[in-house]
Amino acid sequence: MTTAAANVLQYLLLVLGAPLLRALIARVKAVIQRRQGTNLWRPYADLLKLFRKEDLVPPDSSPLFRFAPMMLAASTFVAAALVPTVNQSALLAFAGDFIVLVYVLALGRFFMGLGALDGSSSFAGMGASREAMISALAEAPLLLGLIAVAILAGQGNIVEIVRWTLSQNFFDVSAVHAVAFAALAMVAIAETGRMPVDNPTTHLELTMIHEAMVLEYSGPSLALIEWAQAVKLTVVLSLLIGLFAPWGMAANLTLAGLALGLGAYLLKLVVLAIVIAVLESSIAKLRMYMVPEFLGIATALGALAVVFTALLRR
Amino acid sequence: MVLVDLAASKAMGSAAVLLFLTVLMLAAAKRMSTSIVAFALQSAVLAAQVLAVAHIHRSTESYVIGGLVILIKVLGIPYALFRLVDKLQAPRDVKLSLSPVYSVFITAGLIFLSFTAVHTYVQELRVSEDVLAAAVALILSGAFLMVSHGKALMQIIALLVLENGIFLAALITTFGMPMIIEIGVFFDLIMGVLLMGVFAFRIRDTFEHLDVSKLRRLRG
Amino acid sequence: MQLTRLFFDLHLAIPVAIPLILLPGWRSSRYRRVVPVLLFVSMFLGAATTLLSWRTGQLPIVDLSHLLPFPFVLTLDRLSSLFVFLICAVTAATTVFSVAYIERHYGTGQQAWIWTFLPLFVLSMVLVVTAASAFAFLFGWELMTVFSAALVAADGDSPERRHNLLIYLLMMHAGAAAVAASFFLFLPYTHGLTFTQIRAAGGTLPGRTAIAIYLLAFLGFSTKAGVIPLHLWLPRTHPIAPSPVSALMSGVMLKTAVYGLVRFGFDFLPHPAAWWGYLVLLAGVVSSVLGILYALAERDLKRLLAYSSVENIGIIYLGLGAALIFQAYQAPMWASLALVAALAHTVNHALFKSVLFMGAGSVSTTTHTLNLDELGGLFARMPYTGATLLVACCSIAGLPLFNGFVSEWLTFRSFLAGATLPSPVAQIILPLAAGVLALVGGLAAACFMGLFGTAFLGRPRGVAAKSAGEVPFGMCLGTGVLALACVAVGVYPALLLGPLSLVAASLIPSGNVAQELSLLPRVLPILTTCVVGILLLAMAIPRATRVTAIWACGLPTLSPRMQYTPTVFSKPLRSVFAAVYRPNRKIEVLPADQPYFPVAVSYRSERTTSFEQSLYRPAVDAIVAAANQVRRLHTGNVQMYLLYIFLTLVSLLALVKVLR
Repeated sequence: MTTAAANVLQYLLLVLGAPLLRALIARVKAVIQRRQGTNLWRPYADLLKLFRKEDLVPPDSSPLFRFAPMMLAASTFVAAALVPTVNQSALLAFAGDFIVLVYVLALGRFFMGLGALDGSSSFAGMGASREAMISALAEAPLLLGLIAVAILAGQGNIVEIVRWTLSQNFFDVSAVHAVAFAALAMVAIAETGRMPVDNPTTHLELTMIHEAMVLEYSGPSLALIEWAQAVKLTVVLSLLIGLFAPWGMAANLTLAGLALGLGAYLLKLVVLAIVIAVLESSIAKLRMYMVPEFLGIATALGALAVVFTALLRR
Repeated sequence: MVLVDLAASKAMGSAAVLLFLTVLMLAAAKRMSTSIVAFALQSAVLAAQVLAVAHIHRSTESYVIGGLVILIKVLGIPYALFRLVDKLQAPRDVKLSLSPVYSVFITAGLIFLSFTAVHTYVQELRVSEDVLAAAVALILSGAFLMVSHGKALMQIIALLVLENGIFLAALITTFGMPMIIEIGVFFDLIMGVLLMGVFAFRIRDTFEHLDVSKLRRLRG
Repeated sequence: MQLTRLFFDLHLAIPVAIPLILLPGWRSSRYRRVVPVLLFVSMFLGAATTLLSWRTGQLPIVDLSHLLPFPFVLTLDRLSSLFVFLICAVTAATTVFSVAYIERHYGTGQQAWIWTFLPLFVLSMVLVVTAASAFAFLFGWELMTVFSAALVAADGDSPERRHNLLIYLLMMHAGAAAVAASFFLFLPYTHGLTFTQIRAAGGTLPGRTAIAIYLLAFLGFSTKAGVIPLHLWLPRTHPIAPSPVSALMSGVMLKTAVYGLVRFGFDFLPHPAAWWGYLVLLAGVVSSVLGILYALAERDLKRLLAYSSVENIGIIYLGLGAALIFQAYQAPMWASLALVAALAHTVNHALFKSVLFMGAGSVSTTTHTLNLDELGGLFARMPYTGATLLVACCSIAGLPLFNGFVSEWLTFRSFLAGATLPSPVAQIILPLAAGVLALVGGLAAACFMGLFGTAFLGRPRGVAAKSAGEVPFGMCLGTGVLALACVAVGVYPALLLGPLSLVAASLIPSGNVAQELSLLPRVLPILTTCVVGILLLAMAIPRATRVTAIWACGLPTLSPRMQYTPTVFSKPLRSVFAAVYRPNRKIEVLPADQPYFPVAVSYRSERTTSFEQSLYRPAVDAIVAAANQVRRLHTGNVQMYLLYIFLTLVSLLALVKVLR
């Protein structure tokens, strides 16, 4: 019972706290660029404001246009139930759950692309087309990286992989881990639409990918999209943390253990946020046709990670 | 002291992985500066490996060699290369003759090949399989870098990578070569880099380009 | 037993009886009304037979050997009844669809033609999967080709269509020859070619014979399955057939090849070598990746679906290959898991691909075009068809909550288990194949997002799409039932996995996969509840909506032609994989002497599938060249021909002398 309660709490923390992470990244970027930056609670105010506004709908759209953001939110929020963050368990955990995670995220993206095309705007269509390309190419390295880690751990489920990693020595860097991490980190950038693949703060339609896709959305629909996007970023980062640096995660349900787990998790998220902010401030966005190359390299790394699992076992 | 022991054993254990990563980074790099940094990182891993060997076998000579590696390969040569890039004012890209995706795939294949190649010798030599594989992979990928890149500067780096591989192979199969040989090799290396740097200048001055393919014009 | 037998007999007899008894009245409208009813009844009886025999465990056997000069036995074991049920279910739904479709599209003669051959075509497929002797199998196999060709021919006549049909018939006969040869290779080791005898001989075959049998069967069945590079006929015939027939050809007929491959690989030849599995896996990788890439570039709806069939057959082959590899390394549990995965995808593909082809039929019924570049905005105009097609698109893209995901998840799971095998090659190849499956899944999602998003959403791009309306109730019902089945299996996979585990157990007795298979049925209902729950919550958010114009960069309005077209939608992916397509682009600016003041600019882009260029063309050239050489012998002079006969005779005699 207490495990279930802890799982619900950590799930709520992820889903409700996710917008904060985006604000944090924006804030660090502002500091780097010597700007004042916005309040950390600003995303919540934005969401509240959007939820209260009216939904603007293109003239020839079908009901799917408004259904798509809900589907995106539903699938992303379900995906959030699959990753352990503070505690060494998750709301939903079963053998092969990482495959489900990948495909549940794909479900939301599929409907979001349809919603974009339904708006009949040229920019939204362009965004959907580019997003379709990126996600199609990102799927293989994502699964290869996850499979490599799963094979190394000999486990088929995220929580068990995390537990296995925790039982290993901190310094025992295995080639599989290193290469799989490189692959998954590259995919994480592409999946969450961060630099250098996509620029989440761009204001020029032609350079947008994800932002162009949701160009026609407003009001509560936009709020759902923004929230889901924040949750997705946090889910992907939490997955990276869980698979490659889970140390500190609470093993048992004592208050001290949970507090330590929470502290470690938040610390790791802050570090990642700073890394992302520094990266985004120091590199330029890739040209659109360099993105396949970027993901191709990630695929090669993912494949190499899988090959290593077999080579290092002899 | 316990911490140092631990660090030494970890340096031995994780060297191969880190070397593979630098090799892949070199294969994927599209800028000169990235390649130079990757080479410096690679040399740093090598230096850690030398120092770890020195610590485990308690040999003063190896400490000295390790220091020399840091001085020359981690700091000296990368610095010189950076200056060279600056002075030459050449374009910053490395001029890969194939897509970086294929380059990374081929390098991954070379790593796989080196694992299968060393598999039979590991028992005889009584060395760890992945480090020996890393040495062979360094040699192979150094050769591959030389073939796949069109810039004279990149070929200097490729040669240095190749040399790193030979150095590593020698280190782990002999547990440290005699000091005098090492110093000789370093001397050669420095001379090599200097000479090639001079040549790079000459090539640039004559052809206003660092592209090696332009050398074809020298043909009678 | 009596009832099962009766149902089975009637199921088989009705399609034969239709032309024999009713054909004289083919002109009357009664013929067109009675035949669908009879066909539906026959399909219902067939499905009932499989369920009854499944429940009682009794096998109805039809033995016509005493009537015919060769052993002709039909029976329903577990594997057969799975396929019979599939054929019956899909055909029943297709029949419901076809009544309205065929009436709207064809004249009296064509209608009678289709309604005569459709039951026979279905019967031939049932013959193939229930055959228990080689002759019955080959008989059904040939009939299947002939009747399907007859149905394809119903849709009109033109030189191009004839050419395509000729290619179809040629390739099918070559495939049938290979299958027949592989059966005949058993002959030296048995007394007859009933499946019982073949099974008894299968375990004791010398290695080389087994390899030859397997390779021939693989070639023959792969031709039927449309595996690249033997796929040449598939994108040529499926698009030109009447839509319900394409649904049956793509949804069910291709699956008979999967049936044959499973029969040979797991039933007849119990000791597969690992490289057989790798061969099947390789074929699966090539077909799935190239198939979906070709589909991505298609603008013709039915051709796109045809190429996507090639891709899905590739995915089935991935599962089959993995199953063979596990079988070769004596890992029966994983072998049956992979086999279940392959069979599950077989069933799933039959369901959603039939919906898609019938949906394409609905689209052409109301818009009279299948060119995706002219469609758009159909969802608002035909909501039922749109909803069923949306379900099918989600299913084929392998998204959770729909059935495609179930089989892809199982395939992933079995690939992951490859890491537990003792051989390093398998440890590397199988998990890497999971990467290929992931790539294919991603590309399929992009492809069908483009299909549905551009054809059904947004604004209509042409007059045809603008004036579209919903199709008659029967057509919606036919697709709707199958779409519901897709969702049902996707949400509660036990419906499918329960029977499949029994099929797998009948082929691989020691493989106990109950535990692995119980996982998804437990998880997916929970997952669905969560998704639907959050969806309901999101829908409950109070909101006001207002219709406003879209962002047009300050222009007054955007015309429908400014929307992203299917061609442009797939452009980024096409340029990534440009090496596969070898596009041939041509831009013409008119008038040519004033390039800076063009009046008209025309752009034409053609793709040739590289296989036809680089694989078939040289072969055809070589054959033609050889034929030209042979033609020189034909002088037309009778004395010359007599000389040939004389020379042959003499040389034969000399040969006999030498050999003795």
